[in-house]
Parts: sequence; structure tokens; C-alpha cells
Amino acid sequence: MSELHTDLQSGNWSGKDLNLPGWAKNLRKNAAEQFRMHGFPKRTDETWKYTVSSLQDLQDIRLDRGTDTGYPGQSLAHDLPGSGYRVNLLNGRMVGVKGTLPSGVKLLDMKDALESETDGLQSVLETLSGLQGSRTSSHGFSALNTATLGAGLYIHVPPGVDAGRMHLNWAVSQEETTRLINSRICLLIEAGASLEIVERFGNLQNSTHTTNVVVQAELQNGATLNHVRLQAEPDSACLITRTEISQLSNSDYSYFGFDLGGRVIRHDLHSSLLGPGAKANLNGAYLLDGNRHVDNHARVDHIAPDGQSDQYFRGVASGSSKAVFNTAVCVHPGADGSQASQSNANILLSKRAEIDTKPELEIYADEVIASHGATVGQLDEQAVFYLRSRGLNEQQAREILTTAFCKSVSDRLGDPELATVISQRMMDVMPQAD
Amino acid sequence: MLTIKNLHASVDGMEILKGLDLEVNAGEIHAIMGPNGAGKSTLGNVLAGREGYEVTAGEIIFRGKNLLDLEPEQRACEGVFLAFQYPVEIPGVNNTYFLRTALNAQRKYRGEPELDSAGFLRMVREKLEILHIGDGLLHRAVNEGFSGGEKKRNEIFQMAVLEPALAILDETDSGLDIDALKTVADGVNRLRDETRAMLVITHYQRLLDYIIPDKVHVLAQGRLVVTGGADLALKLEEQGYAWLEDGGIEALETDGANEGPNS
Repeated sequence: MSELHTDLQSGNWSGKDLNLPGWAKNLRKNAAEQFRMHGFPKRTDETWKYTVSSLQDLQDIRLDRGTDTGYPGQSLAHDLPGSGYRVNLLNGRMVGVKGTLPSGVKLLDMKDALESETDGLQSVLETLSGLQGSRTSSHGFSALNTATLGAGLYIHVPPGVDAGRMHLNWAVSQEETTRLINSRICLLIEAGASLEIVERFGNLQNSTHTTNVVVQAELQNGATLNHVRLQAEPDSACLITRTEISQLSNSDYSYFGFDLGGRVIRHDLHSSLLGPGAKANLNGAYLLDGNRHVDNHARVDHIAPDGQSDQYFRGVASGSSKAVFNTAVCVHPGADGSQASQSNANILLSKRAEIDTKPELEIYADEVIASHGATVGQLDEQAVFYLRSRGLNEQQAREILTTAFCKSVSDRLGDPELATVISQRMMDVMPQAD
Repeated sequence: MLTIKNLHASVDGMEILKGLDLEVNAGEIHAIMGPNGAGKSTLGNVLAGREGYEVTAGEIIFRGKNLLDLEPEQRACEGVFLAFQYPVEIPGVNNTYFLRTALNAQRKYRGEPELDSAGFLRMVREKLEILHIGDGLLHRAVNEGFSGGEKKRNEIFQMAVLEPALAILDETDSGLDIDALKTVADGVNRLRDETRAMLVITHYQRLLDYIIPDKVHVLAQGRLVVTGGADLALKLEEQGYAWLEDGGIEALETDGANEGPNS
């Protein structure tokens, strides 16, 4: 048995001794049982085979014991500009907030939310255990996340309230051991309400942590969630995230993810369009160099009629890096009048880099408009020559074209100020051709 | 300014230019005409340094430098400009940003101070006004979604901003309506002075109503077979190019700058 199983059993982890209500104890217990039976994902789990190969040995990893050394604060200096409420998370737990929340909006530490049995939390949390469905190792990370439930946030936006922007700044303290940090973000956005969350992952160099975050959101009728994520982890850190969105009628979810760093990054992004007229708009850019691995799996289930989904992802890989992108849409029986588009394009800058892209589309309904495309290629040499013929040197020409390719994702952000900052961050780390 | 001697060039192993000679002096406009497939565009691409065009013999001297030794961007910085027959669409790259980066790359190469954003914009607006081009194209991505005419206008606009010593217009007139044609001619005529030269590659005489060339050359079978004055273009318009194959070259009055293929 690995160290981690021992940790889990002996209770040698942060948040073990919370005063939980019965339903939460059950959630933990069932998830712990699932994890004990099946463990972490294996190479034989089709959707995890590449990630597992890159993650290397999880045998030595330990659960975080909550010996916080203080939020690194200014030393990170990665904070994104602009207005909004700011939440600092250290090792998955809320350690500080700044700003004023609009009236009626609740933001609670997950520990307090669980112990006080806050309204709505139970149903949101139980949604995921329902979705966990097949009890296999492919959900090992989320099972472990539920088994250690206690860190993270619960955010509740009451009907009709515009909660504005909330920054979630994730940080990890520097420690010797290789730790697995679990955290859960639960969002309940009631009818007609709206919220924007801007997540930023970016830690000190050489930190060898693995962060395992599950984000769950329920968007009630006509609710809006704009979700921006800037991931700039050091080349030594891993980040495993799962985002589960349940969307009721006419709700609107937009995601903009930018993967600029990390040793192994895995993100499962899933939206279920449960009510008629719901919209999911998923966008992302991943920029890889060195030996990095970024693995994105985006999926939209059209369950109710007249839903719309749009997936737009762009990737660039250089060095010996590897990117995996899976985009899936399933239009279920009865989801008539659905519209779905999937677009994924990739540029390989090196012969040693690898990009695996796999679009999937399943349709079991009528009057569906669907399109999908996935490409892996090189820069357009005609465009390179065009730029050079005007005086730009070859490196400049290639950089401009690669940047433009990725910028097409940040340009889709509604906020031009944030788009400018993010496109600049992308330019700063733009992978170079060999 | 430009001396081409015995230029042989191949594309995919097929010889297209077969011993082309040309001398262009500062202040001159030369028109290169000829039938399709004669090698007109190959000449433009070889001068600009496009990959895939292999020079197998001959030399090109531009302002005392061996042009064939230079990278495409070095040629641009030395003052060579090719207006593309098919300008490339570059999504995501703003036209103004692109042009300022290009101009500053050239200025830096020549040891001149770079222009700041405000200074550049002022200069660009002047050029647009002179050329009667709206400023809409400043805010768009390079050639993206441009109509054929807009793309050609954008080439001329770039030329006006970069002020090259040698401008090569590769069939810039093809597919243009009369207004766009006048913009192109305007751009060329405004740049015309004693220090610059132009090479106007065209299939039709129409453009030469607006840009009066000093010399007209006929390029056929990889060589310049006939050279004449501006009136040669009119004769070509009347008679087409078929006579070139019927041994008609000797019958034509020329200034004798070049030999015909049969002589």
C-alpha cells in the first residue's frame, strides 16, 4: 500500500477532524472506499493513458497535512489587474480576502460551509458524486478529492444579483515533501444571477506539489458564469483539475483557460446542458515547451433542447513537450435544435514535440447543427515569407504568427483589459521553434 | 541600380528563367510584359528571395550588392519591395502593428531611429490621405477577409510607407476595377523620383495608361526577347503575344537592347 493510502486511512491529513454533518461524512466515506478499491488512474484507462505516463510515480506522494507556512503573497506578484474581490488560497484553503462582496453574496471557507450546513451546498456536492458514475480508477483524483473534502470555497450568488468579478489566487507553500493538495470550489448561482471568477495558478519555482482541484457549479435558470483561468505553474509542479458545470435553462457558461506552465497539467472540463436554451462557450490556449505535458479534456452534454455549445482551443508545442486535447460533444435523445461547434488547431514547432487531438461528436437528436475540426500543423510558410519580405527577420516573423495564433483565444474574452494582459503573458512565454 | 546578368532559375527542377539580362537605372520604370507562364512572376519572386526558387546561374547586383547572398528580410531592408500577386492573409496580426514593426526593422537595419506609435500613425494617415485609402484597414488583421481590390490597395499602402528604392509590382493590376487601378498607379507615380526604380510586371497594357514606363520588355520562354518604349505595350495590346512564336520579333521595331530567341 502506498504512503498515500496509509495517510488516508490513518487520518494523517488536513481537515480530517471536521465536525461534519452525516451526509458529508457519507460522501467522504463512499469516496474513500472508491479510492481504496481503484486508486489513481492507470495507463489502462483510455482517457488517462498519456497523463499517467507523464505523471510518473504517485507512490511516494503524501497528503497535505496542513502545516501552512503563510501565504507567499507579494513574492508571487502574479496577480491579475482589474477590479474585483480577491481570495487568496494557500494549499487549497482560504487564507485571506480583499474587497467588498455585493449584498447577499456568500463566500465561505469550505470547512465552515460544511460544518454550518450552508443552504444549497449539499445538493451541489452530491451532484458530483452522482456524476462520478462508473466506479473506476479513471475518477481516482476526484474520488480522493471527495474523500478528503474540507478545503476550498463555497460561493452562493442569490437570484438576480450580479456578483461581479472574483479573483481566486492559488498558492502553495514551499515544503520538502512531494504533497498532494486537495481543494473543492462549489458555486451556486441562482436564477438570473451572474458571477465571474478569475483563477490564477502560479507558484514559486521548484515547488514539487501536485494540486487536485474540483470546481463544481450549478447555474440556475438564466444564470451566468464567466470563468477565466490563467495557469502558470512552475515546471516542477502538477495540477489536476476537474470542472463540472450543471446548467439549467437559458444559463450561460463561458470558460477561458490559458495553460502557460506546469510539468503535468490535466483538466477535465465538463458542462451538462440540462435546461432548454443553455449555452456553454469553452475556450482555451495551451503553450508548451521543454518536457511539459498539458492534457485537456473538454466535453459538453446536450441533454435539453435548443442548447448551444462552442469549443475553441488553440495549442502550440515545442521542445519535447506533449499536448493532448480531447473535445467531445454528445447530443442526447430529445435535445432537438441543439447547436454545437468544436474547433481545435495546433502548431508544432519541433519534431520532438507531440500533439494528440481527438474530436468526438455523437448525435442522437433531430435538427442539430454541428461542426467540428481539428488540425495539427506548422506555421504557414507563405505568411512567414510575406512578413520577411517586409523586413522582419525569420524569428520575429515566426513569433508574431505564433502569438497571433494564440491571441485568437484571448481576443474572445469580453474584457479587453484582461485580454491584453493575458496576451502579453502568452507572449512572454511563447515557445520558440528549434 | 539593378543589374541582372544571365539569370537562370528553376522551380521544382524545371527551368523557368533561361538567361535573363536586365539593367534598371535609378529613376526608371520598367514594365515586364509577356504571355502566361513566361516566367514573369518567377522573376519577381527570385528578386524578393522566396524559397523554392533556385537560381542555377547568373547574378543579380542591387546597388552594388549581390542580392542573391541576402536573406529576404535583408533585401527588404536594402530597399527591395515586392507587391505580391496574391497577398497573404494573416489572421490575428493587426495591419498597423505589422507595418510599424516592419518599418522599424528596416530603420534599425539602416541605423535610423525607430518611430514611436504616435509618429508612425501620423505618417501613416498622411499616406492614406494621399492615396485616397480609408483608414479602416489600419484596424484590421493583415489582408484578412479583404476583397481582391483591398488586398492590392494594401500592398500599395505598404509600399508608400516603406518607401523602397526598388519596387516590384507583380501583376498588381490583375482583377482590379478602374478605381483600384488608379490607386495603384497613384501609389507608383507618387513614389516615382530620380532615386527610385520600379519593375511593373503585368499581363495587360491597361495599367501602363496610368503608369508611363520608360521601357517595356517582353519576357517569353524565360528571357527578355524584346525591349521597347512605352508604345511597345500598345502594340502588344493590339497584336497579343502569338506573334512571338511566329518569328515576328525581327519584324518589330525595337531599340535593340535585347536579342530575340531566334537570332
